[in-house]
Amino acid sequence: MAEILVKRQFTRADLLKDAEAGGRKRGRAAGGWIADIAAQKKVITLCPLCTNKFNPAKVHYRKEKEFPVCQAKCDGCSTFDPRCSWYIYDELYTQVRSTAEERRALARSREQRIKRGYL
Amino acid sequence: MQYAGNFSGSAPVIKKYKASATGYAAGIVVLRSAANASGQMSISTTTSAADALGLLMDTGNNQGSPIAYSTTQGDPEAVYSVIVNPDQILRAQMVTGATGTAITGDTVATASSNGLTVVGGTSVASPDMDEGIIWYTSGANVGKSRKITSTSSVTATVIVPFAANAVGDTFCYAGINIGLQGVTLTTDLQKVRTDIAVSTGATLTCLDLELNGTGDSYALFTLGDSTFCQIT
Repeated sequence: MAEILVKRQFTRADLLKDAEAGGRKRGRAAGGWIADIAAQKKVITLCPLCTNKFNPAKVHYRKEKEFPVCQAKCDGCSTFDPRCSWYIYDELYTQVRSTAEERRALARSREQRIKRGYL
Repeated sequence: MQYAGNFSGSAPVIKKYKASATGYAAGIVVLRSAANASGQMSISTTTSAADALGLLMDTGNNQGSPIAYSTTQGDPEAVYSVIVNPDQILRAQMVTGATGTAITGDTVATASSNGLTVVGGTSVASPDMDEGIIWYTSGANVGKSRKITSTSSVTATVIVPFAANAVGDTFCYAGINIGLQGVTLTTDLQKVRTDIAVSTGATLTCLDLELNGTGDSYALFTLGDSTFCQIT
């Protein structure tokens, strides 16, 4: 069967949009793009359709579970989605996030220290 | 600083913005960039968080090296993630000094039987801790805190009395209290200083306090001047 190949005509607007920061470049595979972001230790935001394709542990990332969704542009499909999952580089996690688990541990420690008479 | 949620309980909104200088670090508050600045955000200072965009969540790395802001053609653009919710809650460790050492732990020098004064060894009047908070870290009042209602030299006065204290009891104090706006940050912009007079510095409003020991006490803040709430 004959296949008709039509060269896509990119407008100046298309090209400028591609040059916009933070977005995946034209023709770039999503996986490679996300691998690049992961190598840069940046926050990764993925929509519900893309999130299952990403293995955070493999690249030393931690999925944010206390706030399971965020509103962001998906790094996989470049679509703004109000139900994105977000991933933070593990080493940076405690620097930028306060979790209930950590606060609970601190409260327990405080209680025990008060019982001992010295905070 | 750490992101600790939103007033509204809603999901964080994460945006990626362009840096306009070097020196960005995860966990600092970033501001709307000034007129004619090259990027979209600038760094807060130790005494200013006006026109805040939000909390910076990362700084890019490229092949192990941080992606620095650069005006060299061909260099990667420094674009970082920012939580931009105007009602976000930020948590910061309370410290003293510009570089962020542990809070000053003071010791009761003169006992107070009525519990209305705390007389220590360091001045609470300069810098003035009036309207700040004082809490005991040992003795009969361990774990208890009060608002400071007046200060004079090394004496802090409270209205709601503590139990009688004794010489040698230890306590801490901070020029930070609920609802007060204005804190001074450490030079790395990650922690808040307790050794500065009340309501001095950046427009962060205190929401809550976690009063523990000298090295693990925290304060929670909201952005008092988010650029998404008001145009100034």
